[in-house]
Amino acid sequence: MTVRVYRALVLLLLPTGFNDAFAEELVSVYADLDRAARARSGRAGAWRALIGEIPGLVRIAFRERRTHRTLRARRVAPRLEENMFDSLAQDATFAIRSLRRSIGFTIVAVGTLALGIGANTAIFSVVNSVLLSPLKLHDPDRLVAVGEDSKAATTPSVKSTSPASFFDWKTSSRTMDLGAYDPGYSRTLIGMGEPQQLVGTLVVGGLMDILGVRPLIGRNLTPADEDPGAPPVFVLSFDAWQRVFGEDRDVVGKAFTVNGVSRTIVGVMPPGFTFPAAPNDLWFPAQLDAAVRVNRDQYFLGVVGRLRPGAGIERARGEMSAVMDRLTRDWPKFNQGNRIVVEPLRDTIVGSVQSRLYVLMGAVAFVLLITCANIGNLLVARAAARRREIAVRRALGAGTGRIARQLITESVILAVIGGVAGVAIGKSFLKLLLAGQVTTNLPRVEEISLDSRVLVFTLGVSLVVGLLFGCMPAWHLTRERFTDGLREGARGSARQQWTRNALVVVEVALAMILLTGAGLLLRSFALMARVDTGVKPDQVATLSILRRKPDPNFVPTLLERLRGIPGVQSVAITSMLPISGRGIGAWFNRIDRPLPDNVQPSGEGYRVVTPEYFTTVGIPLKTGRMFDANDRREVPAIIVNEALVKKYYPNENPLGKPVYLGAPDNRLFDSAPIVGVVGDTRDAGLGSDPLPTVYIPFAVMRSWPFYSVVIRHSGSSAPIIASARGVVRDIDATVPIMNVQTLADVVSNATAAARWSTTLLGVFAGVALMTAVLGVFGLLSYMVTQGARELGIRIALGASSGGVQRLVLSRGLGLVGAGLALGLAGALILTRFMQSLLYGVTPTDPATFVGVSAVLVLAAAAASFIPARRATRIDPITALRVE
Amino acid sequence: MTDRSLSTQVFQILLSLADQDLHGYAIIQDVAERTDGEVRLTASTLYAAVKRLLDQGLIDEVSSRARDDDPRRRYYHLTPAGRKTARDEALRLERLAAMARAKRLLPSPR
Repeated sequence: MTVRVYRALVLLLLPTGFNDAFAEELVSVYADLDRAARARSGRAGAWRALIGEIPGLVRIAFRERRTHRTLRARRVAPRLEENMFDSLAQDATFAIRSLRRSIGFTIVAVGTLALGIGANTAIFSVVNSVLLSPLKLHDPDRLVAVGEDSKAATTPSVKSTSPASFFDWKTSSRTMDLGAYDPGYSRTLIGMGEPQQLVGTLVVGGLMDILGVRPLIGRNLTPADEDPGAPPVFVLSFDAWQRVFGEDRDVVGKAFTVNGVSRTIVGVMPPGFTFPAAPNDLWFPAQLDAAVRVNRDQYFLGVVGRLRPGAGIERARGEMSAVMDRLTRDWPKFNQGNRIVVEPLRDTIVGSVQSRLYVLMGAVAFVLLITCANIGNLLVARAAARRREIAVRRALGAGTGRIARQLITESVILAVIGGVAGVAIGKSFLKLLLAGQVTTNLPRVEEISLDSRVLVFTLGVSLVVGLLFGCMPAWHLTRERFTDGLREGARGSARQQWTRNALVVVEVALAMILLTGAGLLLRSFALMARVDTGVKPDQVATLSILRRKPDPNFVPTLLERLRGIPGVQSVAITSMLPISGRGIGAWFNRIDRPLPDNVQPSGEGYRVVTPEYFTTVGIPLKTGRMFDANDRREVPAIIVNEALVKKYYPNENPLGKPVYLGAPDNRLFDSAPIVGVVGDTRDAGLGSDPLPTVYIPFAVMRSWPFYSVVIRHSGSSAPIIASARGVVRDIDATVPIMNVQTLADVVSNATAAARWSTTLLGVFAGVALMTAVLGVFGLLSYMVTQGARELGIRIALGASSGGVQRLVLSRGLGLVGAGLALGLAGALILTRFMQSLLYGVTPTDPATFVGVSAVLVLAAAAASFIPARRATRIDPITALRVE
Repeated sequence: MTDRSLSTQVFQILLSLADQDLHGYAIIQDVAERTDGEVRLTASTLYAAVKRLLDQGLIDEVSSRARDDDPRRRYYHLTPAGRKTARDEALRLERLAAMARAKRLLPSPR
């Protein structure tokens, strides 16, 4: 085997001259060596010997060819049988020489290609890391996310569940091993200098074993750690171990004070493990007490399962559906109308951004296609200019195949140079994307990198691109007699003209599709930006505070002192900022109209606020009253928003109606009347409908540990925030301050994802438009130059300058019209895939289609105008004298 | 050629042929034995060198060979020019060694 490979290599790589003299002997000596190597160290030795031969072979291949060439220059009769390497090397040398000769063309072609390939490389890096590469967990394809959702939901999503339900699922399942988690615990660690603010995840049911992650040092969390009586422990992320503990291996086994409890570090996780989402600094076992373990109305556990050997996801779904049926019988109040959803874990992590990224990937692919069409156009023009050269070569005996291969080699070399430059550009572009934080809202963003798979992709794209546009001029060659070329010289043939027209039409069509996509996104974004957020975000500063020890005086003192800062108009506290999500929810129950026993109430989001909250963030009061100092634990009252009134009190006056939140035996408060109705806020995102929301006075829920302070002020926010920090530190220096931002930042974060995809698609569409317009311009200019004789004759025969101009313009606009029609059809088909990214516009929004068409036609008309003007200035005498 | 030093491999090949005519595989074995495996020629490097040495007239092919030998095997022989080149190289190496000795880089022989 090895000897046969060696022989093949020799025949393929080495020049014929060398092989005639030595090939047989070389192979026979190699066979001896092979036998010796095999005797010494078996088959592996033989392969090692073969690999050892390769540098020598390559050296002969190059060195002998050099001498070979100088010899051949003197030789009269060409050798007929040459091997692949001979002619390839020759093609390559020739191609490089010819590209160097027309350096301007080469630079333009390589430059545009590099940009196109670079953009593709960067976006593909993101797609590759976020969507394509498997999760960095053991055997990730067998991991599933399990959750609860209402049967009524049209697109079921994996939502969190209650502890009791989780344990029921876990003990019932034969197809999966289940574990659960609850992320986003803010933890203050004391014992390493300044108090450290860390983010932690609560782990239930031996989650770490189910994920299959092995600790880097120390041990993993085990189910035994979850026993309420077990000593409190935690494990660190690699990142936190580096950042906080300086990679000190001895921290394992040491105890630190975490949120007031002494906890021992038992292990450090490997780099890259950030489940369920970065950033996550530590994991600690949930030591759920008996009361929590049987709780069925607090939905906070995310559930992950690993399919057992032999079990597929469908079997797990069937099993869970049976489990749900049983649970519904046992606990109708909690489970009626619900189902258990089982989805591949990967889908639930990246699902939300899938369409966004694929649209972008499609957009850059289009940009590259347009670039290809443009370069193809340049190449066809070049081939036309080289017709005489090529015809001469054919007359001298070069076969069609050989010349076609020559032309294709040229474009492939062009494309590969473009590809290499594209990797460099892609790298900087990716850096720009990451630095511009356009990827901030992406899952797995910490994994994004330009890896070997991206490089293979880029190389593949370059080759395909090179073949694609290299085939066009080559294709022409095979279909024309070379005598035409000799006769007509550098003037393009009719067929070439046809190809060039077709290419421009395709370019315009692709640009049209891209522009439509960008236009739709832009319109959605504009509509979204105009959406009434429900708050007045200007001149409101916010910061978050974690109060570790309960202190009834802390909040009143804080509010009092903050109000004293000059420039502050009002101050309030909220459990969660507006526009930043639904937040915690609880069952909403009308006491005046209880639900039948077998109907489960639905959960609604609630926010815990101090009286001045509404005026501070600018939420208007619609009816009733705001909170005041009289709303206390003993005499609770609540305020609801209009969305809640619409859902629960349509055609009713909600004021005074008594309600409670939570389960009958586990209420946030026993009963409270609705005392006011306020305006809606777009908490679930600007593109989503307002959620029904309940506001509860802070005084009613005093034990709230984590909250945000909102400050409405005059003047600039910087000095206000500085004073506010001082005030907090002054009252309690151990209280960590986080997330200092303005309310305007919060609102703008809500549109960040839409903003960056709109921006990117806008840039791509702009590039596409420019390229397409340049294509139209280039084609018409070429047409005017090439058709100078015809136009000259027309002018000589008395055509008016207006008539000539119209002729050129109409040709240009004819092409644009055809492209436009094609693009409209394409856009109608393709924009529907953008549905989920759009807000307030349909994928076939007529206004967008008309507007985009107008832009394209205007740009193309402008591009046609210059060559048209030039056509009128043709001097018939000179035009006829040319050639 | 004389002003340029020979590569280790080429010099070793010439050395192998200094006292005997050898075929390709035998050259590889001889070099490996003499250098305790330090210089290992591959078939390709050997024939790259053989081709050049033939072109430069430093070695030539032997016409007569043992009757029972594999007919594909060709034996190579050191030409007078080849012998001179090898000797020049050896002398150059010796001069180098002498200089190194003068600078006490190497111990002087007694």
